[in-house]
Amino acid sequence: MSLSLRPSAGAPADPALMTLAEAAMAIRAGVLSSREATEACLARIARLQPAINAFIAIEPEAALAAADAADAALAQGEVKGLLHGLPLAHKDMFYEDGHVSTCGSKILREKVATTNSTALARIKAAGTVRLGALHMVEFAYGPTGHNAHFGAARNPWNTAHVTGGSSSGSGAAVAARLTYGALGSDTGGSIRMPAHFCGVTGLKSTVGLVSRYGAMPLSFSLDTIGPLARTVEDCAILLSLMAGHDPLDPTTATAPVPDYLAAAEGRLKGLTIGIPDAFYVDDLDPEVARVLDETIATLKRGGARIVSVSLPDQMKLSGASQVVLNCEASASHKAWLLERPQDYGPQIRSRLENGFAIPAVTYLEALRWRGPALAEHLAAVAEVDAVLAPTAPMPAPTIAETDTDGGPGAEAMIQRITRFTRPVNYLGLPTVSLPCGFTGTGLPVGLQVIGRPFAEATLIRIGAAFQRETDFHEQMPEEA
Amino acid sequence: MSQHLSSEDAAAIIRAAGLDLPASDAARIASGISPGLAAFSAIAGTLPFDLEPATFLAVQRPCAEPKEGGQ
Repeated sequence: MSLSLRPSAGAPADPALMTLAEAAMAIRAGVLSSREATEACLARIARLQPAINAFIAIEPEAALAAADAADAALAQGEVKGLLHGLPLAHKDMFYEDGHVSTCGSKILREKVATTNSTALARIKAAGTVRLGALHMVEFAYGPTGHNAHFGAARNPWNTAHVTGGSSSGSGAAVAARLTYGALGSDTGGSIRMPAHFCGVTGLKSTVGLVSRYGAMPLSFSLDTIGPLARTVEDCAILLSLMAGHDPLDPTTATAPVPDYLAAAEGRLKGLTIGIPDAFYVDDLDPEVARVLDETIATLKRGGARIVSVSLPDQMKLSGASQVVLNCEASASHKAWLLERPQDYGPQIRSRLENGFAIPAVTYLEALRWRGPALAEHLAAVAEVDAVLAPTAPMPAPTIAETDTDGGPGAEAMIQRITRFTRPVNYLGLPTVSLPCGFTGTGLPVGLQVIGRPFAEATLIRIGAAFQRETDFHEQMPEEA
Repeated sequence: MSQHLSSEDAAAIIRAAGLDLPASDAARIASGISPGLAAFSAIAGTLPFDLEPATFLAVQRPCAEPKEGGQ
């Protein structure tokens, strides 16, 4: 694979402000050293971590030593891979032999991994440098970014607001330019929600495209792994490295991986994008509705054909998604829930308890319906290349108003925020959440482009073309 | 499955699943999961006899195969 970059308008004075593609190319070309890039990220981390709490662990000494080794290797003509010497940090749930993966929990706070996540290993094999580990919601079970053990992550655009979760640190750190990109996971919206709330690009992959081996499980039927980065092109690079069959995860598809970077060069002309005529356009915050209208206009100007599309009943999909997630998460956590319930935060514990009250037959019905539900969806979208919808009905709420602990309002709040993301997880579809505008108070608004199974290339084509027409993805929080 | 899960229903199922919770938690749990169960209730009890979960892969995996003429 080769990086094909569009000419940059000029290198930023701060190397941390480059995109992932620009920085990777600059390091490989010898224009920027790995140490310079790593020092730039570490300087921003030191400055901004107290305000946004994006990291669970910061490892400056090890990062600089790895950067120096990368520079020395490059001086000898040794290029480890596409991302040689590029500093990155990821959601703290991808096991890396010899490193603690807390999964945002007290229970695993001291647990040193003895295996390697395939997705992370494939990124590392491209030559990246580890900056540390990113904040996440405890066991990835929550959409806001609250964490009873590590404190809430804070939105770089306004630190009174949530980052979204559960890939909270990934969204915040990419938005604040603390890392060039980050891995996240999405079981009910956990990549798309922080991408929307933090104004970055987040790509949720199709179930079966990226190996889940060595990544913390939440729901084995719904879990997916994907990148968050500043641009669609950056996400395409990370996805290209991760995607493809893994014998260690037999659920991964064996089909060849498309050329996602080539897809990023594609145009909107010739594509048909569907706008749902219900559900995703109902009860929207007025500013989200405005951004949706503006985005449709931009896509039209770019040459896309926009049509209305009638999707199957999304509430049924949402209910099925909730049943599957609740049951599978509770089953995975049962031993710890019995042995050490006090070691969970209140909100996570209460959600895990919920799953025990769902009858097994109902859970199995939800699994059995998945095939027919996907077939019905594919029939409904047969005439379009992708569907455009808001990622959430509202921009980022405040940390205070969503701080429900495990109280009676917790589940209702969670369901409200994840209303537009859950159906996609049930169907296992790929989706990219794109920064598409801002509210009057300066909070980002993201929209999701939903594709057919394994049609990530189409989403990358749409997203990259949209980002060539707009500059929302280039905006950076003032505090950062 | 009815659309409404009562506290008593929830308490009994949770007990059978092996979790020992105070009775006061049953109401919270019932109200937490009832919306999802209600949304799914239109499907529950309607599925054909010979439908199994692997149907999902049977529908999904053909989409992974390269299309003629590129993506």
